[in-house]
Amino acid sequence: MAETAVEPRWRSYGTRRRSTRTVRVRTSVALVAVTVLAVLLVPPLIQLDQQAVDLALKLQPPSWAHPFGTDDVGRDLLLRCVYGLRVSLFVGVVAALTATVIGTAVGATAGALGGWFDRGVMRLVDTFSSVPHLLLGIFIVALFRPGVWPVVVSVGLTHWLSTARIVRAEVLSLRSRPYIDAAVSGGASRWRVAVRHLLPAVLPQAALAAVLMVPHAMWHESALSFLGLGLPSHMASLGNLIQTARGSLLAGQWWPTLFPGLFLVVPTLAIAGLAGAWRERINPRRRSELML
Amino acid sequence: MTSVVLSVRGLSVRFLMPGGRRIAAVTDAHFDVTAGECLALIGESGCGKSVLASALLGLLPANAQTAGEAHLADLDLLAADERTLARTVRGRRIGLIPQSPAAHLTPVRTIRSQLEETVAALRGVQGRKALRAAAEEAAERAAFPADHLDRHPHELSGGLAQRAATALALVGDAPLLLADEPTTGLDRDLVDHTVDELRRHVDTADRALLMITHDLAAAERIADRVAVMYAGRIVELTDAAAFFGETGPRHPYSRGLLAALPDRAFTPIPGMPPELGALPDGCAFAARCDRTTAACTAVPHLTDAVACHHPHVPEGIRA
Amino acid sequence: MLELRAITAGYDRRTPVVRDVSLSVEPGEAVGLLGPSGCGKSTLARVAALLHRPDSGTVLLDGEPVHRWRHRAPRAHRTAFGVVFQQPRLSVDPRLRLTDLMAEPLRATGRRNEIPDRVAELATAVGLTPDLLTRRPHEVSDGQLQRACLARALVLRPRWLICDEITAMLDASTSAALVAAVEDYRAETGAGLLAVGHDHALLNRWCGRLVRWDDLGPAA
Repeated sequence: MAETAVEPRWRSYGTRRRSTRTVRVRTSVALVAVTVLAVLLVPPLIQLDQQAVDLALKLQPPSWAHPFGTDDVGRDLLLRCVYGLRVSLFVGVVAALTATVIGTAVGATAGALGGWFDRGVMRLVDTFSSVPHLLLGIFIVALFRPGVWPVVVSVGLTHWLSTARIVRAEVLSLRSRPYIDAAVSGGASRWRVAVRHLLPAVLPQAALAAVLMVPHAMWHESALSFLGLGLPSHMASLGNLIQTARGSLLAGQWWPTLFPGLFLVVPTLAIAGLAGAWRERINPRRRSELML
Repeated sequence: MTSVVLSVRGLSVRFLMPGGRRIAAVTDAHFDVTAGECLALIGESGCGKSVLASALLGLLPANAQTAGEAHLADLDLLAADERTLARTVRGRRIGLIPQSPAAHLTPVRTIRSQLEETVAALRGVQGRKALRAAAEEAAERAAFPADHLDRHPHELSGGLAQRAATALALVGDAPLLLADEPTTGLDRDLVDHTVDELRRHVDTADRALLMITHDLAAAERIADRVAVMYAGRIVELTDAAAFFGETGPRHPYSRGLLAALPDRAFTPIPGMPPELGALPDGCAFAARCDRTTAACTAVPHLTDAVACHHPHVPEGIRA
Repeated sequence: MLELRAITAGYDRRTPVVRDVSLSVEPGEAVGLLGPSGCGKSTLARVAALLHRPDSGTVLLDGEPVHRWRHRAPRAHRTAFGVVFQQPRLSVDPRLRLTDLMAEPLRATGRRNEIPDRVAELATAVGLTPDLLTRRPHEVSDGQLQRACLARALVLRPRWLICDEITAMLDASTSAALVAAVEDYRAETGAGLLAVGHDHALLNRWCGRLVRWDDLGPAA
């Protein structure tokens, strides 16, 4: 028979689905990158004093000289926003990491040990969860003098509960897998099973929870500052900026509220978009997409 | 005259992997399934048989490419858009009998409510009484006991769960049934039972059944014809009675598979199948075959029911 | 000698899945335990491999009663058993490459220096080619993964093998190859085998003695 090595005509499958997702992911990556770069580079590189007061320029609407306008004591709002984001993001990241470390440790230990320890810890988690965590956060900051660290501690200590639940559930479902049986039978100690087999399996979930918690923690910082309980009022955090802008908003000056608000909302959406794509990626079902 | 229900011509599937690698999951498959016939597609896990089923249903992942045609009456399944497949094909023209019925059924709803929903959606039955009657009739067709209709999937044994899934697959009166490993994890009695029931659905309503399986005993029990898949290609397509009977298969791979059965020689085929991402240029089985010659550096085409340069010749013809 | 005496076990004390079952395996013997799916034979296999504490009954290992299970069992007892399960995908840590998967028991017991030799030797024994050893589980087929699982079970040279439906997901040729690898190991070491399954033809061909689940009750 004659060899007919004609390449067949290939039809691609589901390209559209892929491209909309790609656009979303790329937008998120770009926005997060811009945010991080702005926060890291602007303060050291640009020699402008964000605290420079110029009462002659107070409450100027956006212009070329001041793209975001100026605040009630004539400070440039763009610069204030970048500094504010820097503070808020720092608080958000450190608080989210604190909460995740506590949550993972508690959840993994409870899930791995089981028994009375698990029951006791989870009862404690339920109890804490029944108190609104903003209230609890307010209680904690009230114990200290205003500053960055009390806010970090307050947000960190009130946000590990959900992570602990997620991690515990994951550990419980993994613990009954035959591969844990196989490890036990292969002579692995309890510690080795926890560290080598259970912990690596829950880390992606925990990391995802941490990333999603960064914006959440930022909002908490803003909420606490807005209530006047968070950062000292001279610090340019996004919450403080919005708080000081309240008065001028009633007078029709929208920019001191809008721009810090956008600085809070846009990174939040970008981080959520990124986390969503990541979640899809670590989803084991996608790995077996090949069906081989 | 028997009518062809599904006609597959030159079906190929490639997966595009990161780094530009292409995986040849299915290559140039040709076969027909006619009404009242069961074609068993057999092969080991990873040979591409499940990918072939997914291609027919339009359920491939986004990185897949297809070529060729698969005609279900006048519709080319490979060219149809997702909307057409979802609204007119799956459930209505192809009934899918899944691998793990427990995972296929909604865990939080009773079998009755799932059947009623399917009956309403596929047959347009309306009114509570009519729905109830239609659902009970659908259950009866798959020999699902009426007194178990109000149970949830986890309250059913493996065999009953399989019947519930079959009942759902039969609701749309689809001319083609597609069963993907319907007997995996079932014990021998249940396998026989499931397979006999599938056969009954083929015979009573003149349906066509394409059954994908690695279970040779199940295939022997149900199939009229057998297609053997190896490394993404159909290497033998022949009458089941001859394949499992005295004559035996003609492709060396098929012969090896049968010889590996515990009630036959119980000897494995040496080696392992090649990677679908790095197939050899010639016959993919050559490296494991005891009949390999220089001719095997060219890909053999499926002629006279077998794709092999040196097939076994049945006793009668050799003389 | 591995003896299970009057074992009652399950996951809820009120509804045990194994009731008062006795079974013994002599050294070097291959016992096939035949039962329908869902009858509790997998639970019995886990009890035998010291992975599941029974609610009542005694397990005797060479005449000595076993008192501790899972992590609490002495390591020498646990590693006297090699276990292989039905579903290779669920039986492996998805992050480990095949070679690490096979070597894991050697690492866990502090015998790293044996890894290169032992992994190479076992890869050959179970029919895995070197290029497969660097892959992760999602990059190989069920059959290849089950071969690696068997290698992992053999790596510590267990005296007992517990095989729970190990060929249920596999094609005929791979099944025959796995059974042949188990039998080669047993011929070389004299290990005992408890093979659990529902395929009469397979267990009958494989095992010297065939036991039906229904005959194992208190009356037997």
